Amino acid sequence: MTTLQADVLVIGGGATGAGVAWDCALRGYDTILVDRRDLAEGTSGRFHGLLHSGGRYVVKDRDAAVECVHENAIVRRVAADTVEDTGGLFVTTPDDDPAYGDRFAEGCRATGLPTEEISPAAALKREPLLNPGIKRAFTVPDGSIDVWKLVWALANGAAAHGARVLTYHKVIGVRREGDVVCGARLRNELSGEEVDVEAAFTINASGAWAAEVATMAGCEGVHVAPGKGIMIAMNHRLVNTVVNRLIMPADGDILVPIRTVSVIGTTDIRSRHADELPVTQEEVDQMLDDGERLVPGLRAARALRVWAGVRPLFEDKKTGDTASTRDVSRSHAMLDHLERDGLRSFLTITGGKLTTYRLMAQDIVDAMVRQRGEDRPCRTAETPLPGSEDREQYRLGTRLRAREDELQTEQIICECELVGRGRLEAAMRRRGTVNLDDIRRNLRLGMGPCQGGFCMYRAAGILHGVDRLDGPHATGSLRHFLQERWKGMWPVLYGDQLRQARLDDWIFQGLLDVGHVPADLEGLPTPVDAELQPATLA
Amino acid sequence: MRHDVIVVGTGVAGLAAGVRLAQEGARVLVLAKGIGATHLAGATVDVLGYDPARVESPEEAIGRLASAQPGHPYARLGAAAVGEALAWLRDQVAASPMAPYAYEGGLAENLLLPTAVGAPKPTAAAPVTMLAGDLRRDERPICIVGFRQLKDFHPLLCAENLTHAQAGAGAAARGIELDLPVSGRVDENAQGIARQLEDPVFRGALVQQLAGRLQLNERVGFPAVLGLQDPHAVWSDLEHRLARPVFEIPTLPPSVPGMRLYTILRGALRAAGGRQVIGPEVIGPVASGTRLEGVRVRVGRREEVRYAEHVVLATGGFASGGLVLDSSWQARDAALGLPLAGLPEPGAPRFTSRYLDDQPMSRVGIAVDDELRPVDAHGDPVYEKVRVVGASLAGAVPWKEKSGDGISLATGHRAAELILAAGGAPAGLTTATQEGR
Repeated sequence: MTTLQADVLVIGGGATGAGVAWDCALRGYDTILVDRRDLAEGTSGRFHGLLHSGGRYVVKDRDAAVECVHENAIVRRVAADTVEDTGGLFVTTPDDDPAYGDRFAEGCRATGLPTEEISPAAALKREPLLNPGIKRAFTVPDGSIDVWKLVWALANGAAAHGARVLTYHKVIGVRREGDVVCGARLRNELSGEEVDVEAAFTINASGAWAAEVATMAGCEGVHVAPGKGIMIAMNHRLVNTVVNRLIMPADGDILVPIRTVSVIGTTDIRSRHADELPVTQEEVDQMLDDGERLVPGLRAARALRVWAGVRPLFEDKKTGDTASTRDVSRSHAMLDHLERDGLRSFLTITGGKLTTYRLMAQDIVDAMVRQRGEDRPCRTAETPLPGSEDREQYRLGTRLRAREDELQTEQIICECELVGRGRLEAAMRRRGTVNLDDIRRNLRLGMGPCQGGFCMYRAAGILHGVDRLDGPHATGSLRHFLQERWKGMWPVLYGDQLRQARLDDWIFQGLLDVGHVPADLEGLPTPVDAELQPATLA
Repeated sequence: MRHDVIVVGTGVAGLAAGVRLAQEGARVLVLAKGIGATHLAGATVDVLGYDPARVESPEEAIGRLASAQPGHPYARLGAAAVGEALAWLRDQVAASPMAPYAYEGGLAENLLLPTAVGAPKPTAAAPVTMLAGDLRRDERPICIVGFRQLKDFHPLLCAENLTHAQAGAGAAARGIELDLPVSGRVDENAQGIARQLEDPVFRGALVQQLAGRLQLNERVGFPAVLGLQDPHAVWSDLEHRLARPVFEIPTLPPSVPGMRLYTILRGALRAAGGRQVIGPEVIGPVASGTRLEGVRVRVGRREEVRYAEHVVLATGGFASGGLVLDSSWQARDAALGLPLAGLPEPGAPRFTSRYLDDQPMSRVGIAVDDELRPVDAHGDPVYEKVRVVGASLAGAVPWKEKSGDGISLATGHRAAELILAAGGAPAGLTTATQEGR
């Protein structure tokens, strides 16, 4: 068995965990970041892409709003390359109470959130597809953020400062010496090989799965209730501004333009298990109806995919309240296990929102530094992430412009998302993975309107050459990617997207006949819900 | 003028019906919203490949299928009608200006042709340019050749899977990727390369690159790009110059062999006096009771009416837009609003979570009687003089069972036979009536 040593082991490769790893690495700690899957494949990769202005919270939770106001500005600086400055609107639809707008305006004033009430006509001029019956509109500095780009920038930045990133490594045991946590045992989910990490400090940033890790360390009563939310990606930018319903936070109240699509979200339903996230037709119908309220005619547009994310909702069942939870903020939960359980060198952070990932990381690493009796200040608020050094924010069209420059020299493999062959091959070499879904998260391969109908065969052929795979392994990669794409398509297939899916099926089953080629799935992950026992599901 | 028959749709099903009718003297108008599915398909004639085991003889398997699945389109036809249609298609191709380009094969025994991913696919008939790829008994080793500039075909993957598939006595295969001799572009599609290959100089350069790299006794597989206008000349010239059997493998759309088939059938339609208009969208019936008098057509922003004695609906399934499912989960036939059969009950799953499983929506389509007339839930004809053909029909899983081409060809051909038997042409109907406004 391999044994690795580090100052800090960070468990969980979402935005929080990657943010913690980046923060630790910048403070000079030798850091290892692990995730049971790919980076940002859990909660972080399953949200709508909103960089909160704070407007959503100005009435309900002013502390959270203030955090967002502050962090939004920082993220725009240090992670500029991942942010698009779409701006945001809060609008009163004909079904909503216009009086809420006054409470909203007051909340904005109290929290320092810059806003301006504009006329419905001005809002409609800015976003012509908006419901023409809107009664009030407020501008806010919302943005959209490419979470995979962000999390990989954090991980790559950490790696540039010496951190090691182990994806597809699941924690199967937390190592303890008496009352000191000293790392974890990991299992490589693709090869089955086990790895020991000996770490002076362990930070549990596994979000919705934090209770499982805390329990492995012997901490009782940590409970994270999974709150499921579904989102639907529409095939183009119905709006270019984030559009929020001007109501108390509720289901289906936001439409986010992110990269080439717009995402309508979301619901909030208690789920039985963080890995059990079925999407029901009722939820899809509700999302589409809610979308119609913001943008009439939304149902006539193409729905590309639906997915469910899981919010970690922390409850402390040991104390029955949050007394031993260091409530640094009401928006995220930090557990000091020394104070709570008498365990040294172990902290848990969960909850929160993507917009405040940096602050969460800072808080938890500050706590670690205190426990270690050191003085190492946080540098993440000033240090730009790799790719964001010039502080140039992403613009829709950036990719197209780059593509136009190389039209004569670069073969285009995914037309929908403008992925060139050179970038694809480079990513395959860099990641060293046979999983095309990993590549997708890096390059957006197969994320456009055809959902991989044309690029999946091409990518499998290229992967076959780059990785020197044998035929059945390349076919296994193709079949796995097909299934991964299908996963998000089938519950929301109708209209022109159904037509597209049937064309794709024609290609894969009718023309290529991928069902009758030997496929080897070695090196590819099994679905996360495969391990759930029927008893858990019942 | 008033037409004897309006065919809606211009894929294989619609063109087969239209050509057959026009050749018998019927005044045929083929209306289509856009180019048909020929440009998407591989242009092999897949009649029945899996049931669910691999089918050796489609003739026998159609008989079994017809009794096991009475709702399947083949149950309305029987193997004999499918065989007739296939023979008819072979004749059409052989008599076309593209001859000696021809189709070969029949229902007695499936060919086993490689796909672009290296699957051995059972198909009843194929262009002569594909036949040397047959994996059944031919044990000669295979060299698959692709082009770096054509991202839609990956010869090494194809070859390696062929070797693993051990389809026909384990034909050994290897792949070679060439740089196209003159193009200078990094990104070519099949159509572009097919045009270039019609130039003998270009072919010469290709042969020069390849000749020294081939081994004794190898047959050579290319992506299906061997010429658009005169594929036989391109193919036979390559066979001659390489001194080896050469074959084509269909790959991602646009389909070059599909375009050839379209050109051949459209040419036959025109030669027989049929008319084809691309662009108008049929949006509804003009009918009284079960008597359909014509169709409402949207041309640009105008609406017009086209009258005809008979209508053949060949608009295709969900992939072609012939059938649509809206966001309220209501499904319909887009052109005539015919009822659909096989729809999952409200609330029941339309699809399953595993891609390769049978999908409940796959068999949805228009149910017909033995005369290919659309029927309602009670089995009664909705219209007397409408025939439904091709992928709009209920009951098949064409891509899974590899039956789509056979169903389209045979139902299209059969609809023509039925209309002719009913006296649909050329007798009567000489009165010119209004057309449009």
